[in-house]
Amino acid sequence: MSTKIEQKNTVDKSAIKEGIKFGTLMVLPAQIMFFTVLAFPLLSGIYISLTEWSPLTSGGLKWYSAYKFWSGLSNYWNLITDKEFLMALFRTFIIVATVVPIEFFLGLFIAFLFLDKFPLKKVFHTVLIIPMMIVPAVGGFVFYMLFQSSGAVNGILSIFTSQPVEIVWLQHDVLAIIAIICADVWQWTPLMFLILLSGLMSLPEDQLNAAVILGFSNWQRFRMIVLPLMKPVFVIALIIRGIEAVKIFDPIWLMTSGGPGTATETISVYLYRHGFVMLEWSWIAAAGYIIFILINIIAAFALKLIKEKHREAA
Amino acid sequence: MEQKIYAKIVKYVLVVFIVSVFFFPIYWTITMAFKPHMEWTSSAGKIHWIPKKPTLTNFTSLFQRKVSVVSPLSSTAVRPIVNSIIVSVASTVFTMILGTLAAYGISRYKVAPNLPFMLLGLRMIPLAAIIVPIMVLWAYVGFVDTAHGLIILYALSTLPFAVLLMKTFFDEIPTELDEAAIVDGYSNWGAFTKFILPLAKGGISSTALFCFILNWSDFILALTLTDRKWSTIPVYLDKLQSGYVGKLYGPKAALALIAVIPPVIFGLLIQKYLVRGLTFGAVKK
Repeated sequence: MSTKIEQKNTVDKSAIKEGIKFGTLMVLPAQIMFFTVLAFPLLSGIYISLTEWSPLTSGGLKWYSAYKFWSGLSNYWNLITDKEFLMALFRTFIIVATVVPIEFFLGLFIAFLFLDKFPLKKVFHTVLIIPMMIVPAVGGFVFYMLFQSSGAVNGILSIFTSQPVEIVWLQHDVLAIIAIICADVWQWTPLMFLILLSGLMSLPEDQLNAAVILGFSNWQRFRMIVLPLMKPVFVIALIIRGIEAVKIFDPIWLMTSGGPGTATETISVYLYRHGFVMLEWSWIAAAGYIIFILINIIAAFALKLIKEKHREAA
Repeated sequence: MEQKIYAKIVKYVLVVFIVSVFFFPIYWTITMAFKPHMEWTSSAGKIHWIPKKPTLTNFTSLFQRKVSVVSPLSSTAVRPIVNSIIVSVASTVFTMILGTLAAYGISRYKVAPNLPFMLLGLRMIPLAAIIVPIMVLWAYVGFVDTAHGLIILYALSTLPFAVLLMKTFFDEIPTELDEAAIVDGYSNWGAFTKFILPLAKGGISSTALFCFILNWSDFILALTLTDRKWSTIPVYLDKLQSGYVGKLYGPKAALALIAVIPPVIFGLLIQKYLVRGLTFGAVKK
Protein backbone atom coordinates (compact mmCIF):
# COMPACT_ATOMS: atom_id res chain seq x y z
CA MET A 1 0.00 0.00 0.00
CA SER A 2 2.63 2.49 1.07
CA THR A 3 4.83 1.68 -1.92
CA LYS A 4 1.91 2.40 -4.20
CA ILE A 5 1.44 5.87 -2.73
CA GLU A 6 5.16 6.53 -3.05
CA GLN A 7 5.02 5.48 -6.65
CA LYS A 8 2.15 7.82 -7.33
CA ASN A 9 4.05 10.64 -5.66
CA THR A 10 7.10 10.13 -7.83
CA VAL A 11 4.91 10.04 -10.93
CA ASP A 12 3.29 13.34 -9.88
CA LYS A 13 6.66 14.84 -9.11
CA SER A 14 8.10 13.91 -12.48
CA ALA A 15 4.94 15.24 -14.17
CA ILE A 16 5.34 18.52 -12.32
CA LYS A 17 9.03 18.63 -13.24
CA GLU A 18 8.10 17.91 -16.83
CA GLY A 19 5.51 20.68 -16.68
CA ILE A 20 7.98 23.21 -15.38
CA LYS A 21 10.44 22.23 -18.08
CA PHE A 22 7.71 22.66 -20.67
CA GLY A 23 6.64 26.00 -19.23
CA THR A 24 10.22 27.26 -19.24
CA LEU A 25 10.56 26.30 -22.88
CA MET A 26 7.34 28.15 -23.71
CA VAL A 27 8.59 31.35 -22.10
CA LEU A 28 12.05 31.07 -23.62
CA PRO A 29 11.43 32.66 -27.06
CA ALA A 30 9.88 35.75 -25.50
CA GLN A 31 12.74 36.01 -23.02
CA ILE A 32 15.38 35.63 -25.73
CA MET A 33 13.68 38.34 -27.75
CA PHE A 34 13.44 40.62 -24.73
CA PHE A 35 17.03 40.24 -23.59
CA THR A 36 18.85 40.11 -26.93
CA VAL A 37 17.18 43.14 -28.42
CA LEU A 38 17.39 45.16 -25.22
CA ALA A 39 20.66 44.02 -23.62
CA PHE A 40 22.95 45.34 -26.33
CA PRO A 41 21.39 48.79 -26.63
CA LEU A 42 21.32 49.20 -22.85
CA LEU A 43 24.98 48.25 -22.45
CA SER A 44 26.31 50.04 -25.51
CA GLY A 45 24.22 53.02 -24.46
CA ILE A 46 26.18 53.32 -21.21
CA TYR A 47 29.45 53.04 -23.12
CA ILE A 48 28.55 55.68 -25.69
CA SER A 49 27.15 58.00 -23.05
CA LEU A 50 30.60 58.18 -21.44
CA THR A 51 32.19 59.58 -24.60
CA GLU A 52 31.84 62.50 -26.99
CA TRP A 53 31.26 60.19 -29.95
CA SER A 54 28.64 61.09 -32.54
CA PRO A 55 28.21 60.00 -36.15
CA LEU A 56 28.85 63.56 -37.31
CA THR A 57 31.98 64.51 -35.39
CA SER A 58 33.77 61.19 -35.13
CA GLY A 59 35.19 61.26 -38.64
CA GLY A 60 33.63 57.96 -39.66
CA LEU A 61 34.78 56.04 -36.60
CA LYS A 62 32.40 53.22 -35.66
CA TRP A 63 30.63 53.18 -32.31
CA TYR A 64 33.05 50.66 -30.76
CA SER A 65 35.91 53.11 -31.25
CA ALA A 66 34.04 55.66 -29.19
CA TYR A 67 36.60 55.29 -26.36
CA LYS A 68 38.87 57.56 -28.40
CA PHE A 69 36.50 60.36 -27.43
CA TRP A 70 36.31 59.34 -23.77
CA SER A 71 34.84 62.03 -21.58
CA GLY A 72 33.83 60.21 -18.43
CA LEU A 73 30.73 61.52 -16.72
CA SER A 74 30.86 64.94 -18.31
CA ASN A 75 27.74 64.33 -20.43
CA TYR A 76 25.75 63.46 -17.33
CA TRP A 77 27.12 66.38 -15.39
CA ASN A 78 26.43 68.82 -18.24
CA LEU A 79 22.94 67.42 -18.71
CA ILE A 80 21.77 67.88 -15.14
CA THR A 81 22.89 71.49 -15.32
CA ASP A 82 21.58 72.02 -18.87
CA LYS A 83 18.74 74.51 -18.88
CA GLU A 84 17.10 73.18 -22.04
CA PHE A 85 17.05 69.61 -20.74
CA LEU A 86 15.71 70.63 -17.35
CA MET A 87 13.07 72.78 -19.01
CA ALA A 88 11.99 69.81 -21.15
CA LEU A 89 11.61 67.74 -17.97
CA PHE A 90 9.71 70.53 -16.26
CA ARG A 91 7.42 71.07 -19.27
CA THR A 92 6.65 67.36 -19.45
CA PHE A 93 5.76 67.46 -15.78
CA ILE A 94 3.45 70.45 -16.33
CA ILE A 95 1.70 68.78 -19.26
CA VAL A 96 1.23 65.48 -17.39
CA ALA A 97 0.03 67.28 -14.27
CA THR A 98 -2.55 69.20 -16.31
CA VAL A 99 -3.68 66.57 -18.74
CA VAL A 100 -4.13 63.59 -16.42
CA PRO A 101 -6.45 65.29 -13.87
CA ILE A 102 -8.51 66.95 -16.62
CA GLU A 103 -8.95 63.64 -18.41
CA PHE A 104 -9.72 61.85 -15.17
CA PHE A 105 -12.42 64.20 -13.91
CA LEU A 106 -13.93 64.78 -17.34
CA GLY A 107 -13.94 61.03 -17.97
CA LEU A 108 -15.52 60.38 -14.59
CA PHE A 109 -18.16 63.03 -15.20
CA ILE A 110 -19.11 61.59 -18.60
CA ALA A 111 -19.09 58.07 -17.13
CA PHE A 112 -21.65 59.18 -14.53
CA LEU A 113 -23.81 60.70 -17.28
CA PHE A 114 -23.68 57.38 -19.13
CA LEU A 115 -25.00 55.42 -16.17
CA ASP A 116 -28.52 56.57 -17.05
CA LYS A 117 -30.54 55.32 -19.96
CA PHE A 118 -31.25 57.76 -22.76
CA PRO A 119 -32.05 57.70 -26.47
CA LEU A 120 -29.14 57.00 -28.86
CA LYS A 121 -26.91 56.00 -25.95
CA LYS A 122 -25.13 53.30 -27.95
CA VAL A 123 -24.38 55.64 -30.84
CA PHE A 124 -23.06 58.33 -28.50
CA HIS A 125 -20.94 55.78 -26.66
CA THR A 126 -19.38 54.63 -29.94
CA VAL A 127 -18.70 58.17 -31.15
CA LEU A 128 -17.16 59.05 -27.80
CA ILE A 129 -14.62 56.22 -27.79
CA ILE A 130 -13.43 56.70 -31.39
CA PRO A 131 -10.76 59.34 -30.59
CA MET A 132 -8.74 56.85 -28.53
CA MET A 133 -8.47 54.50 -31.52
CA ILE A 134 -7.20 57.18 -33.86
CA VAL A 135 -3.51 57.02 -34.75
CA PRO A 136 -1.90 59.61 -32.40
CA ALA A 137 0.08 61.18 -35.24
CA VAL A 138 -3.18 61.65 -37.15
CA GLY A 139 -4.71 63.20 -34.03
CA GLY A 140 -1.78 65.61 -33.99
CA PHE A 141 -2.39 66.54 -37.62
CA VAL A 142 -6.12 67.05 -36.98
CA PHE A 143 -5.41 69.49 -34.15
CA TYR A 144 -2.67 71.16 -36.18
CA MET A 145 -5.35 71.84 -38.76
CA LEU A 146 -7.94 73.00 -36.21
CA PHE A 147 -5.57 75.42 -34.49
CA GLN A 148 -4.33 77.24 -37.59
CA SER A 149 -5.03 80.96 -37.60
CA SER A 150 -7.40 80.29 -40.50
CA GLY A 151 -8.67 77.11 -38.84
CA ALA A 152 -11.89 75.92 -37.27
CA VAL A 153 -11.14 76.85 -33.64
CA ASN A 154 -10.77 80.48 -34.56
CA GLY A 155 -13.87 80.09 -36.73
CA ILE A 156 -15.90 78.92 -33.75
CA LEU A 157 -14.46 81.67 -31.55
CA SER A 158 -15.44 84.29 -34.10
CA ILE A 159 -19.01 83.02 -34.04
CA PHE A 160 -19.16 83.49 -30.27
CA THR A 161 -17.43 86.85 -30.28
CA SER A 162 -19.10 87.89 -33.56
CA GLN A 163 -15.88 89.36 -34.88
CA PRO A 164 -13.11 87.74 -36.91
CA VAL A 165 -10.66 85.98 -34.59
CA GLU A 166 -7.19 85.26 -35.92
CA ILE A 167 -5.18 83.92 -33.03
CA VAL A 168 -1.89 82.36 -34.08
CA TRP A 169 -2.12 79.46 -31.64
CA LEU A 170 0.83 77.33 -32.57
CA GLN A 171 3.35 80.14 -32.76
CA HIS A 172 2.71 81.34 -29.24
CA ASP A 173 4.59 79.80 -26.28
CA VAL A 174 1.62 79.29 -23.97
CA LEU A 175 -1.19 78.97 -26.52
CA ALA A 176 0.74 76.21 -28.30
CA ILE A 177 0.89 74.20 -25.07
CA ILE A 178 -2.83 74.78 -24.57
CA ALA A 179 -3.48 73.47 -28.09
CA ILE A 180 -1.39 70.37 -27.35
CA ILE A 181 -3.26 69.83 -24.09
CA CYS A 182 -6.55 70.05 -26.01
CA ALA A 183 -5.33 67.40 -28.47
CA ASP A 184 -4.30 65.06 -25.65
CA VAL A 185 -7.52 65.60 -23.69
CA TRP A 186 -9.55 64.92 -26.83
CA GLN A 187 -7.70 61.71 -27.56
CA TRP A 188 -7.41 60.22 -24.08
CA THR A 189 -10.48 61.31 -22.11
CA PRO A 190 -12.36 58.52 -23.92
CA LEU A 191 -9.97 55.97 -22.42
CA MET A 192 -10.55 57.34 -18.92
CA PHE A 193 -14.28 57.34 -19.60
CA LEU A 194 -14.21 53.73 -20.73
CA ILE A 195 -12.13 52.48 -17.78
CA LEU A 196 -14.17 54.41 -15.22
CA LEU A 197 -17.51 53.47 -16.77
CA SER A 198 -16.65 49.78 -16.68
CA GLY A 199 -15.63 50.25 -13.05
CA LEU A 200 -18.89 52.01 -12.19
CA MET A 201 -20.98 49.39 -13.97
CA SER A 202 -19.44 46.60 -11.93
CA LEU A 203 -20.39 48.24 -8.63
CA PRO A 204 -22.77 46.08 -6.59
CA GLU A 205 -26.21 47.46 -7.34
CA ASP A 206 -27.84 46.22 -4.15
CA GLN A 207 -25.47 48.28 -2.04
CA LEU A 208 -26.25 51.39 -4.04
CA ASN A 209 -30.00 50.70 -3.81
CA ALA A 210 -29.73 50.09 -0.10
CA ALA A 211 -28.06 53.46 0.26
CA VAL A 212 -30.98 55.11 -1.54
CA ILE A 213 -33.47 53.36 0.76
CA LEU A 214 -31.45 54.46 3.77
CA GLY A 215 -31.85 58.02 2.55
CA PHE A 216 -28.25 58.74 1.57
CA SER A 217 -27.73 61.83 -0.53
CA ASN A 218 -25.96 61.50 -3.88
CA TRP A 219 -22.78 62.92 -2.39
CA GLN A 220 -22.90 60.53 0.57
CA ARG A 221 -23.47 57.64 -1.78
CA PHE A 222 -20.44 58.70 -3.81
CA ARG A 223 -18.17 59.24 -0.84
CA MET A 224 -19.13 56.24 1.26
CA ILE A 225 -19.84 53.55 -1.34
CA VAL A 226 -18.62 54.49 -4.81
CA LEU A 227 -15.28 55.99 -3.79
CA PRO A 228 -13.93 53.14 -1.64
CA LEU A 229 -15.08 50.48 -4.12
CA MET A 230 -13.72 52.37 -7.11
CA LYS A 231 -10.36 53.21 -5.58
CA PRO A 232 -8.41 50.40 -7.30
CA VAL A 233 -9.88 51.37 -10.69
CA PHE A 234 -9.05 55.02 -10.06
CA VAL A 235 -5.46 54.11 -9.20
CA ILE A 236 -5.03 51.97 -12.31
CA ALA A 237 -6.58 54.59 -14.60
CA LEU A 238 -4.35 57.35 -13.22
CA ILE A 239 -1.17 55.26 -13.38
CA ILE A 240 -1.78 54.04 -16.92
CA ARG A 241 -2.60 57.49 -18.21
CA GLY A 242 0.25 59.08 -16.27
CA ILE A 243 2.81 56.70 -17.73
CA GLU A 244 1.59 57.21 -21.26
CA ALA A 245 1.35 60.97 -20.89
CA VAL A 246 5.03 61.22 -19.92
CA LYS A 247 5.96 59.75 -23.29
CA ILE A 248 3.94 62.27 -25.33
CA PHE A 249 5.59 62.84 -28.70
CA ASP A 250 3.43 62.27 -31.79
CA PRO A 251 0.89 65.11 -31.46
CA ILE A 252 3.58 67.59 -30.43
CA TRP A 253 5.82 66.67 -33.34
CA LEU A 254 2.96 67.02 -35.81
CA MET A 255 1.61 70.25 -34.29
CA THR A 256 4.68 72.30 -33.36
CA SER A 257 7.78 70.08 -33.62
CA GLY A 258 8.62 71.43 -30.17
CA GLY A 259 8.41 75.05 -31.25
CA PRO A 260 8.12 77.97 -31.27
CA GLY A 261 11.79 77.79 -30.26
CA THR A 262 11.71 75.08 -27.63
CA ALA A 263 8.48 76.26 -25.99
CA THR A 264 6.63 72.94 -26.41
CA GLU A 265 9.60 70.61 -26.15
CA THR A 266 8.91 67.66 -23.84
CA ILE A 267 11.33 64.89 -22.90
CA SER A 268 10.60 62.77 -25.97
CA VAL A 269 10.76 65.72 -28.34
CA TYR A 270 14.05 66.84 -26.78
CA LEU A 271 15.53 63.36 -27.15
CA TYR A 272 14.37 63.03 -30.73
CA ARG A 273 15.51 66.47 -31.83
CA HIS A 274 18.97 66.22 -30.29
CA GLY A 275 19.37 62.59 -31.31
CA PHE A 276 18.10 62.66 -34.86
CA VAL A 277 18.03 66.23 -36.04
CA MET A 278 21.26 67.34 -34.40
CA LEU A 279 22.79 63.84 -34.17
CA GLU A 280 24.29 64.35 -30.69
CA TRP A 281 24.23 60.65 -29.98
CA SER A 282 26.43 60.38 -26.91
CA TRP A 283 24.63 63.33 -25.34
CA ILE A 284 21.26 61.70 -25.98
CA ALA A 285 22.48 58.28 -24.80
CA ALA A 286 23.30 59.96 -21.48
CA ALA A 287 20.01 61.87 -21.42
CA GLY A 288 18.20 58.62 -22.19
CA TYR A 289 19.86 57.02 -19.17
CA ILE A 290 18.93 59.84 -16.83
CA ILE A 291 15.30 59.51 -17.94
CA PHE A 292 15.54 55.72 -17.78
CA ILE A 293 16.57 55.98 -14.12
CA LEU A 294 13.93 58.60 -13.32
CA ILE A 295 11.18 56.53 -14.94
CA ASN A 296 12.41 53.38 -13.19
CA ILE A 297 12.02 55.04 -9.83
CA ILE A 298 8.47 56.07 -10.70
CA ALA A 299 7.77 52.73 -12.37
CA ALA A 300 8.94 50.71 -9.38
CA PHE A 301 6.33 52.52 -7.34
CA ALA A 302 3.62 52.13 -9.99
CA LEU A 303 4.42 48.45 -10.58
CA LYS A 304 4.04 47.74 -6.89
CA LEU A 305 0.51 49.10 -7.04
CA ILE A 306 -0.36 47.15 -10.21
CA LYS A 307 1.15 43.96 -8.78
CA GLU A 308 -1.10 44.30 -5.74
CA LYS A 309 -4.10 44.76 -8.02
CA HIS A 310 -3.12 41.65 -9.99
CA ARG A 311 -2.86 39.67 -6.79
CA GLU A 312 -6.28 40.88 -5.66
CA ALA A 313 -7.70 39.76 -9.00
CA ALA A 314 -6.01 36.35 -8.90
CA MET B 1 -41.63 64.51 -10.93
CA GLU B 2 -41.44 67.60 -13.10
CA GLN B 3 -38.07 68.38 -11.59
CA LYS B 4 -36.87 64.92 -12.44
CA ILE B 5 -37.79 65.33 -16.09
CA TYR B 6 -36.15 68.72 -16.08
CA ALA B 7 -32.94 67.21 -14.68
CA LYS B 8 -33.07 64.50 -17.30
CA ILE B 9 -33.34 67.01 -20.12
CA VAL B 10 -30.42 69.01 -18.76
CA LYS B 11 -28.35 65.85 -18.55
CA TYR B 12 -29.27 64.87 -22.09
CA VAL B 13 -28.33 68.27 -23.44
CA LEU B 14 -25.00 67.92 -21.65
CA VAL B 15 -24.38 64.51 -23.19
CA VAL B 16 -25.22 65.76 -26.67
CA PHE B 17 -22.95 68.79 -26.18
CA ILE B 18 -20.00 66.69 -24.97
CA VAL B 19 -20.39 64.14 -27.73
CA SER B 20 -20.54 66.87 -30.37
CA VAL B 21 -17.39 68.50 -29.02
CA PHE B 22 -15.56 65.18 -29.19
CA PHE B 23 -16.97 64.45 -32.61
CA PHE B 24 -16.13 67.83 -34.13
CA PRO B 25 -12.43 67.12 -34.93
CA ILE B 26 -13.49 63.91 -36.66
CA TYR B 27 -16.20 65.75 -38.60
CA TRP B 28 -13.72 68.41 -39.61
CA THR B 29 -11.22 65.86 -40.92
CA ILE B 30 -13.84 63.92 -42.85
CA THR B 31 -15.21 67.02 -44.54
CA MET B 32 -11.72 68.39 -45.16
CA ALA B 33 -10.87 65.25 -47.08
CA PHE B 34 -13.65 66.05 -49.55
CA LYS B 35 -13.10 69.80 -49.81
CA PRO B 36 -11.54 71.32 -52.93
CA HIS B 37 -8.43 73.43 -52.55
CA MET B 38 -10.37 76.71 -52.33
CA GLU B 39 -12.23 75.61 -49.21
CA TRP B 40 -9.31 74.25 -47.13
CA THR B 41 -8.76 77.44 -45.18
CA SER B 42 -10.98 80.34 -44.33
CA SER B 43 -10.86 83.25 -46.71
CA ALA B 44 -11.69 86.70 -45.36
CA GLY B 45 -12.79 85.22 -42.03
CA LYS B 46 -15.30 82.87 -43.67
CA ILE B 47 -14.94 79.26 -42.62
CA HIS B 48 -16.32 76.51 -44.81
CA TRP B 49 -18.29 74.38 -42.37
CA ILE B 50 -19.51 72.00 -45.05
CA PRO B 51 -17.86 71.25 -48.40
CA LYS B 52 -19.74 73.25 -51.03
CA LYS B 53 -18.23 71.47 -53.99
CA PRO B 54 -17.26 68.03 -52.67
CA THR B 55 -14.47 66.38 -54.62
CA LEU B 56 -12.38 63.23 -54.64
CA THR B 57 -9.21 64.91 -55.90
CA ASN B 58 -7.67 64.82 -52.44
CA PHE B 59 -7.80 61.04 -52.50
CA THR B 60 -6.73 60.61 -56.10
CA SER B 61 -3.86 63.09 -55.70
CA LEU B 62 -2.36 60.78 -53.08
CA PHE B 63 -1.94 58.09 -55.68
CA GLN B 64 -0.72 60.15 -58.62
CA ARG B 65 2.80 61.20 -59.31
CA LYS B 66 1.52 63.94 -61.60
CA VAL B 67 2.66 67.39 -60.56
CA SER B 68 -0.29 69.69 -60.10
CA VAL B 69 -1.40 72.32 -57.63
CA VAL B 70 -2.68 69.75 -55.20
CA SER B 71 -0.24 66.99 -55.85
CA PRO B 72 3.35 67.97 -56.35
CA LEU B 73 4.53 64.87 -54.52
CA SER B 74 7.78 63.16 -55.13
CA SER B 75 6.31 59.82 -54.12
CA THR B 76 2.75 58.55 -53.87
CA ALA B 77 1.04 57.17 -50.79
CA VAL B 78 0.97 53.63 -52.20
CA ARG B 79 4.30 52.50 -50.78
CA PRO B 80 3.69 53.85 -47.24
CA ILE B 81 0.25 52.23 -47.12
CA VAL B 82 1.63 48.88 -48.29
CA ASN B 83 4.53 49.24 -45.84
CA SER B 84 2.19 49.94 -42.94
CA ILE B 85 0.14 46.85 -43.74
CA ILE B 86 3.15 44.54 -44.16
CA VAL B 87 4.98 45.73 -41.07
CA SER B 88 1.93 45.83 -38.78
CA VAL B 89 0.65 42.41 -39.83
CA ALA B 90 4.04 40.70 -39.66
CA SER B 91 4.95 42.15 -36.28
CA THR B 92 1.52 41.26 -34.91
CA VAL B 93 1.94 37.63 -35.98
CA PHE B 94 5.44 37.58 -34.52
CA THR B 95 4.48 39.08 -31.18
CA MET B 96 1.39 36.87 -30.91
CA ILE B 97 3.44 33.69 -31.33
CA LEU B 98 5.97 34.76 -28.69
CA GLY B 99 3.30 36.22 -26.44
CA THR B 100 0.84 33.32 -26.57
CA LEU B 101 3.51 30.72 -25.79
CA ALA B 102 4.96 32.77 -22.96
CA ALA B 103 1.55 33.63 -21.53
CA TYR B 104 0.57 29.96 -21.39
CA GLY B 105 3.82 29.05 -19.67
CA ILE B 106 3.34 31.80 -17.13
CA SER B 107 -0.36 31.13 -16.60
CA ARG B 108 -0.12 27.36 -16.15
CA TYR B 109 3.34 26.55 -14.87
CA LYS B 110 4.07 29.75 -12.95
CA VAL B 111 7.49 30.04 -14.58
CA ALA B 112 9.28 33.36 -15.08
CA PRO B 113 6.98 35.17 -12.64
CA ASN B 114 8.91 38.40 -13.11
CA LEU B 115 8.77 38.56 -16.89
CA PRO B 116 5.34 40.24 -17.05
CA PHE B 117 6.51 43.02 -14.78
CA MET B 118 9.76 43.48 -16.65
CA LEU B 119 7.70 43.80 -19.82
CA LEU B 120 5.47 46.34 -18.10
CA GLY B 121 8.59 48.24 -17.10
CA LEU B 122 9.67 48.23 -20.74
CA ARG B 123 6.37 49.79 -21.70
CA MET B 124 6.89 52.62 -19.23
CA ILE B 125 10.18 53.88 -20.68
CA PRO B 126 9.77 56.50 -23.39
CA LEU B 127 10.96 54.92 -26.63
CA ALA B 128 12.90 58.08 -27.36
CA ALA B 129 15.11 57.34 -24.33
CA ILE B 130 16.49 54.08 -25.74
CA ILE B 131 16.19 54.78 -29.44
CA VAL B 132 19.76 56.08 -29.90
CA PRO B 133 21.48 52.89 -28.66
CA ILE B 134 18.98 50.86 -30.69
CA MET B 135 19.84 52.98 -33.71
CA VAL B 136 23.56 52.29 -33.12
CA LEU B 137 22.89 48.55 -33.09
CA TRP B 138 20.52 48.70 -36.07
CA ALA B 139 23.00 50.73 -38.12
CA TYR B 140 25.75 48.27 -37.21
CA VAL B 141 23.80 45.18 -38.31
CA GLY B 142 22.26 46.94 -41.31
CA PHE B 143 18.63 46.92 -40.09
CA VAL B 144 17.95 50.61 -40.68
CA ASP B 145 15.19 51.25 -43.23
CA THR B 146 14.33 47.57 -43.59
CA ALA B 147 11.08 45.72 -42.94
CA HIS B 148 12.57 43.25 -40.48
CA GLY B 149 14.27 46.02 -38.54
CA LEU B 150 10.91 47.61 -37.90
CA ILE B 151 9.05 44.33 -37.39
CA ILE B 152 11.40 43.17 -34.62
CA LEU B 153 11.02 46.43 -32.69
CA TYR B 154 7.25 46.54 -33.14
CA ALA B 155 7.00 42.97 -31.92
CA LEU B 156 9.11 43.85 -28.89
CA SER B 157 7.10 46.95 -28.08
CA THR B 158 3.75 45.13 -28.19
CA LEU B 159 5.06 41.99 -26.46
CA PRO B 160 4.01 43.31 -23.01
CA PHE B 161 0.41 43.55 -24.20
CA ALA B 162 0.47 40.17 -25.93
CA VAL B 163 1.85 38.38 -22.85
CA LEU B 164 -0.25 40.09 -20.20
CA LEU B 165 -3.49 40.00 -22.15
CA MET B 166 -3.14 36.39 -23.24
CA LYS B 167 -2.31 35.48 -19.66
CA THR B 168 -5.65 36.90 -18.49
CA PHE B 169 -7.43 34.87 -21.19
CA PHE B 170 -5.60 31.64 -20.27
CA ASP B 171 -6.27 32.28 -16.59
CA GLU B 172 -9.98 32.21 -17.40
CA ILE B 173 -9.80 28.67 -18.82
CA PRO B 174 -10.06 26.15 -15.96
CA THR B 175 -6.85 24.15 -15.40
CA GLU B 176 -8.92 20.97 -15.03
CA LEU B 177 -9.14 20.92 -18.82
CA ASP B 178 -5.44 20.54 -19.50
CA GLU B 179 -5.08 18.22 -16.51
CA ALA B 180 -7.79 15.95 -17.94
CA ALA B 181 -6.09 15.98 -21.32
CA ILE B 182 -2.76 15.01 -19.76
CA VAL B 183 -4.40 12.18 -17.81
CA ASP B 184 -5.84 11.04 -21.14
CA GLY B 185 -2.28 10.67 -22.37
CA TYR B 186 -1.75 13.94 -24.21
CA SER B 187 1.62 15.64 -23.85
CA ASN B 188 1.82 19.14 -22.42
CA TRP B 189 2.15 20.50 -25.93
CA GLY B 190 -0.73 18.33 -27.13
CA ALA B 191 -3.01 19.57 -24.35
CA PHE B 192 -2.09 23.14 -25.23
CA THR B 193 -2.63 22.91 -28.98
CA LYS B 194 -5.59 20.50 -29.05
CA PHE B 195 -7.66 21.81 -26.14
CA ILE B 196 -6.57 25.18 -24.84
CA LEU B 197 -5.75 27.06 -28.04
CA PRO B 198 -9.17 26.42 -29.63
CA LEU B 199 -10.84 27.65 -26.44
CA ALA B 200 -8.67 30.77 -26.39
CA LYS B 201 -9.52 31.68 -29.98
CA GLY B 202 -11.58 34.71 -28.99
CA GLY B 203 -8.82 35.96 -26.72
CA ILE B 204 -6.18 35.40 -29.38
CA SER B 205 -8.04 37.31 -32.05
CA SER B 206 -8.85 40.26 -29.78
CA THR B 207 -5.27 40.42 -28.52
CA ALA B 208 -3.96 40.25 -32.09
CA LEU B 209 -6.27 43.06 -33.23
CA PHE B 210 -5.18 45.06 -30.23
CA CYS B 211 -1.48 44.59 -31.02
CA PHE B 212 -2.19 45.42 -34.66
CA ILE B 213 -3.76 48.74 -33.66
CA LEU B 214 -0.71 49.62 -31.56
CA ASN B 215 1.75 48.69 -34.30
CA TRP B 216 -0.26 50.53 -36.92
CA SER B 217 -0.32 53.63 -34.70
CA ASP B 218 3.42 53.83 -34.11
CA PHE B 219 5.13 56.99 -35.23
CA ILE B 220 8.45 57.52 -33.47
CA LEU B 221 10.04 54.15 -34.33
CA ALA B 222 9.19 54.44 -37.99
CA LEU B 223 10.24 58.09 -38.00
CA THR B 224 13.72 57.31 -36.67
CA LEU B 225 14.40 53.90 -38.18
CA THR B 226 13.09 54.26 -41.70
CA ASP B 227 14.00 56.56 -44.51
CA ARG B 228 12.75 56.33 -48.09
CA LYS B 229 11.84 52.70 -48.56
CA TRP B 230 10.02 51.60 -45.46
CA SER B 231 8.41 54.72 -44.04
CA THR B 232 4.87 54.07 -42.85
CA ILE B 233 1.67 56.10 -43.18
CA PRO B 234 2.21 58.38 -40.13
CA VAL B 235 5.74 59.25 -41.28
CA TYR B 236 4.50 59.97 -44.79
CA LEU B 237 1.70 62.09 -43.33
CA ASP B 238 4.27 64.10 -41.39
CA LYS B 239 6.51 64.64 -44.41
CA LEU B 240 3.75 65.33 -46.92
CA GLN B 241 4.35 68.90 -47.99
CA SER B 242 4.29 70.92 -51.10
CA GLY B 243 6.24 73.85 -52.41
CA TYR B 244 3.17 75.19 -54.21
CA VAL B 245 0.50 75.51 -51.56
CA GLY B 246 2.52 74.77 -48.46
CA LYS B 247 0.03 72.95 -46.31
CA LEU B 248 -1.74 70.12 -48.08
CA TYR B 249 -4.72 69.98 -45.73
CA GLY B 250 -6.97 68.20 -48.19
CA PRO B 251 -4.71 65.30 -49.23
CA LYS B 252 -3.41 65.01 -45.67
CA ALA B 253 -6.95 64.73 -44.33
CA ALA B 254 -7.71 62.13 -47.00
CA LEU B 255 -4.63 60.15 -45.94
CA ALA B 256 -5.60 60.59 -42.29
CA LEU B 257 -9.00 59.05 -43.04
CA ILE B 258 -7.37 56.09 -44.78
CA ALA B 259 -4.99 55.70 -41.83
CA VAL B 260 -7.68 55.61 -39.14
CA ILE B 261 -10.13 53.26 -40.84
CA PRO B 262 -8.42 49.96 -39.86
CA PRO B 263 -7.76 50.83 -36.20
CA VAL B 264 -11.24 52.29 -35.68
CA ILE B 265 -12.96 49.25 -37.20
CA PHE B 266 -10.78 46.83 -35.25
CA GLY B 267 -11.10 48.89 -32.11
CA LEU B 268 -14.88 48.83 -32.28
CA LEU B 269 -14.77 45.08 -32.95
CA ILE B 270 -12.84 44.46 -29.74
CA GLN B 271 -14.58 47.20 -27.76
CA LYS B 272 -15.28 44.72 -24.99
CA TYR B 273 -11.57 44.10 -24.45
CA LEU B 274 -10.22 47.61 -24.98
CA VAL B 275 -10.19 48.43 -21.29
CA ARG B 276 -8.61 45.12 -20.39
CA GLY B 277 -5.97 45.66 -23.08
CA LEU B 278 -5.05 49.20 -22.22
CA THR B 279 -4.84 48.46 -18.51
CA PHE B 280 -2.67 45.36 -19.15
CA GLY B 281 -5.42 43.15 -17.80
CA ALA B 282 -5.69 44.97 -14.49
CA VAL B 283 -9.30 46.04 -15.15
CA LYS B 284 -11.08 43.03 -16.58
CA LYS B 285 -14.58 44.15 -17.42
